[in-house]
Amino acid sequence: MDIRKVRDAADVEQAVRAAIAAEQPLEIIGHGSRREIGHPMATNAVVDLSALNAVVSYEPNELIITVEAGAPLADVQSLIDARNQQFAFEPVDTSVLLGTKGSGTIGGMIGVGLAGSRRIKSGGVRDHLLGAHAVSGFGDSFKTGGKVVKNVTGYDLCKLLSGSWGTLAVMTEVTLKVMPKPEAERTLILRGLDDVAANRAMTAALGSPFDVSGAAHLPNSALRPTDAALAPLGAPEQAVTLLRLEGIAASAAHRAASLAKALAPYGAVETIEDAVSLSIWSALRDVTPFAANGALGAWPVWRIVCPPASGGALGQAVARETGGDVIYDWGGGLIWVAVPPKADAQRAQVRGRVEAAGGHATLIRASEEVRRAVDVFHPQPRGLADLSERVRQSFDPKNILNRGRLTRGTAS
Amino acid sequence: MAIMMPAADQAVLSRRSEIVAALRAIVPGEGVIDSAAEMLAYESDGLTAYRQPPMVVVLPDTTEQVSQVLKYCHARGIKVVPRGSGTSLSGGALPLADGVLLGLGKFKRIREIDFDNRVVVTEPGVTNLAISQAVAHAGFYYAPDPSSQIACSIGGNVAENSGGVHCLKYGMTTNNVLGCEFVLMNGEVLRIGGKSAENAGYDIMGIITGSEGLLGVITEITVRILQKPETARALMVGFAEVEAAGECVARIIGAGIIPGGMEMMDKPAIHAAEAFVHAGYPLDVEALLIIELDGPSIEVDELIRRVETIAQGCGSTSCQISSSEAERNLFWAGRKAAFPAVGRISPDYLCMDGTIPRGALPKALARIRELSEKYQLGVANVFHAGDGNLHPLILYDANKPGEMARAEAFGADILRCCVELGGVLTGEHGVGIEKRDLMPEMFSEIDLNQQQRLKCAFDPQGLLNPGKVFPTLHRCAELGRVHVHGGKLAFSDIPRF
Repeated sequence: MDIRKVRDAADVEQAVRAAIAAEQPLEIIGHGSRREIGHPMATNAVVDLSALNAVVSYEPNELIITVEAGAPLADVQSLIDARNQQFAFEPVDTSVLLGTKGSGTIGGMIGVGLAGSRRIKSGGVRDHLLGAHAVSGFGDSFKTGGKVVKNVTGYDLCKLLSGSWGTLAVMTEVTLKVMPKPEAERTLILRGLDDVAANRAMTAALGSPFDVSGAAHLPNSALRPTDAALAPLGAPEQAVTLLRLEGIAASAAHRAASLAKALAPYGAVETIEDAVSLSIWSALRDVTPFAANGALGAWPVWRIVCPPASGGALGQAVARETGGDVIYDWGGGLIWVAVPPKADAQRAQVRGRVEAAGGHATLIRASEEVRRAVDVFHPQPRGLADLSERVRQSFDPKNILNRGRLTRGTAS
Repeated sequence: MAIMMPAADQAVLSRRSEIVAALRAIVPGEGVIDSAAEMLAYESDGLTAYRQPPMVVVLPDTTEQVSQVLKYCHARGIKVVPRGSGTSLSGGALPLADGVLLGLGKFKRIREIDFDNRVVVTEPGVTNLAISQAVAHAGFYYAPDPSSQIACSIGGNVAENSGGVHCLKYGMTTNNVLGCEFVLMNGEVLRIGGKSAENAGYDIMGIITGSEGLLGVITEITVRILQKPETARALMVGFAEVEAAGECVARIIGAGIIPGGMEMMDKPAIHAAEAFVHAGYPLDVEALLIIELDGPSIEVDELIRRVETIAQGCGSTSCQISSSEAERNLFWAGRKAAFPAVGRISPDYLCMDGTIPRGALPKALARIRELSEKYQLGVANVFHAGDGNLHPLILYDANKPGEMARAEAFGADILRCCVELGGVLTGEHGVGIEKRDLMPEMFSEIDLNQQQRLKCAFDPQGLLNPGKVFPTLHRCAELGRVHVHGGKLAFSDIPRF
């Protein structure tokens, strides 16, 4: 494997230009912590951005931070944490699911675009990327967006870069919005609801004026006694439904009490606070019930995004048909499914149901063999797929960047 | 007209009657307007300094008709300018002499309200405010609130990625739309997303939002709706120095408080607004902040106390806190009427829209004062202080020879200054024709070429809203060429794969 460690944008330009000349596709990595997501790529030429890791500027009062794309996510998070700020979209640490080491780089975080529980309130990665410098598949460094939170100058290419899995351009420097951390949090716990009833409870909570910032449901099958991260939830015999309220302490407590009252028809409500609550949501964000080192570590994992109010019925049906386990976040709008291993990761059972519900499913964890056989990313209808391909070509006509990662059978 | 538009295609104009007839066959009845008198209503948008009657106006009322109109125009190389309510302040809907003006005003129906999924599915001609009104009975609203919300259409909001006073806390249009149906220039109808929080594949919805009508014509939109906060209260704080007001804004944000809205006005704007609406604004201050906190009463009360303390620490000279809805609305009345209020003290005004880093506010205002001297034109500043979005209103009289050109030069200098200070040309009004020729101040040719290549992926012939956003038009074939540096690599000693 030929790994080229780049030190600045000019290095990246040269690497891409050389690759164009040699008709050689490139794999783009930071720490390589998410390489096992997506289709296996047919290249042994790697551009490594981990040395492009400086913090360019951090201005807490402007609510922005500018960093090079290879900056470690964990370091950047501690830096902003020291000023009591955070990435409000709660980036998922995929190392728990994948069994890899470290939470990767900022560039990787943007490229995969996976947001945690607060997405329902604060948006996803795409809503927090304000500007970027990147090198396209033409080998040219371009910039888009800016270093201010409010900007409509030109097309918003940041939206395309977020969640593009490194296929459009190699980001070299990015500006992200940071937000103040909430002073306090309260989580309400309902016990023993089935998936559909839990979905209704979460829908009621999210339709309330109490500003719910997390709504998740763990059926009892997903709660295992060995799962230390979720131990604070207590007895694992019963499903738990969790609703998070954040803000200044008086407000979080007030809203928690009001919401508990509103949820009375769904059963008795318990409350957990601050540090305990924080650890539970962090475990949920990283999908610890399906951790690589846990009981279901060998099972393929799907990530389903669907209209939230139909999540309960959809998850139940998928679990029944696949014999798998499910957990719900985003009030039902995000379902993680672990399925008993099969050569096709039970693609038809999962995607058939998901499409009928108006959602889409991504195969986040599977063996390389399975990822060669199954479309990892949800296939799009013809017209939209064609447009997306034209969009990709507008950035990378020679298909140099992460060739074949998104679409099966296009690696060569 | 200072800004040049693409030359009219005489071959198209010579076929005008044939084109009108063909459009009538697609959109029967009153949906095609070709009389000069009736087309006058469409000759400009909110940027009224620029006027141009279109070749013909077509007002379809189904997606199928939109698709047919575009297909027809595409096949014959006829340009199309889409238009919502025509409230754009940057000339995004300025017609072309040889173009079809495609109005979406008949798409007026809200198709579905889904409280369980917290979305509204609507046609693009529905006004911004009408969406909030349609869901108000259940305590919901649509958060982005551009000042023109009684008139502006949701389709136009998507095209421009509209903001508003509350976008500091609740985001712009792009953060509040989930999906759409849109029609490509070749007539192809595509659906993106829906009621899910995220869409599969590249974020096409994200790129269409704010694309100023250059990528496709939107025929249906799915927006997120939120529960209204329990209560809202506002503070009105005066400062003897602009710098102190700027510092106050920075400290509020630095303290981890994100107000629902945080607006600043300078002395000329305060005086104009007070004379117009009598909101009780202090007239002896250099800067006035209106800061709104929203949420549960218990939270709002606490945050009001914190903000008041911060303001005092920054040397505020006056501080009023609203104790009723009527009083809160009064505080806002002057700010919301700032544009018409300035209209009363000057025959004409030009509204600029740059964004700067919040911390650069005093520098920006000082520079604007200097420029005001240089150009001998008055200026009043209103400012979305929370997110650094400046709206200098340049006062001029179009009837005085040369004043409009001077005002435009003044405005261009303000925007250049915003870019120099680390900001951008437009925070929410869009580039359109107004800021088109300033794009190179912010973007290199390579940056702009990448954006135009994206345009080619949607509209390779460049027929949809040409002449907007980009200062130079390139052919797609030329933009798409990859220059292989092979054999003559600039750095041939660099190891290659």
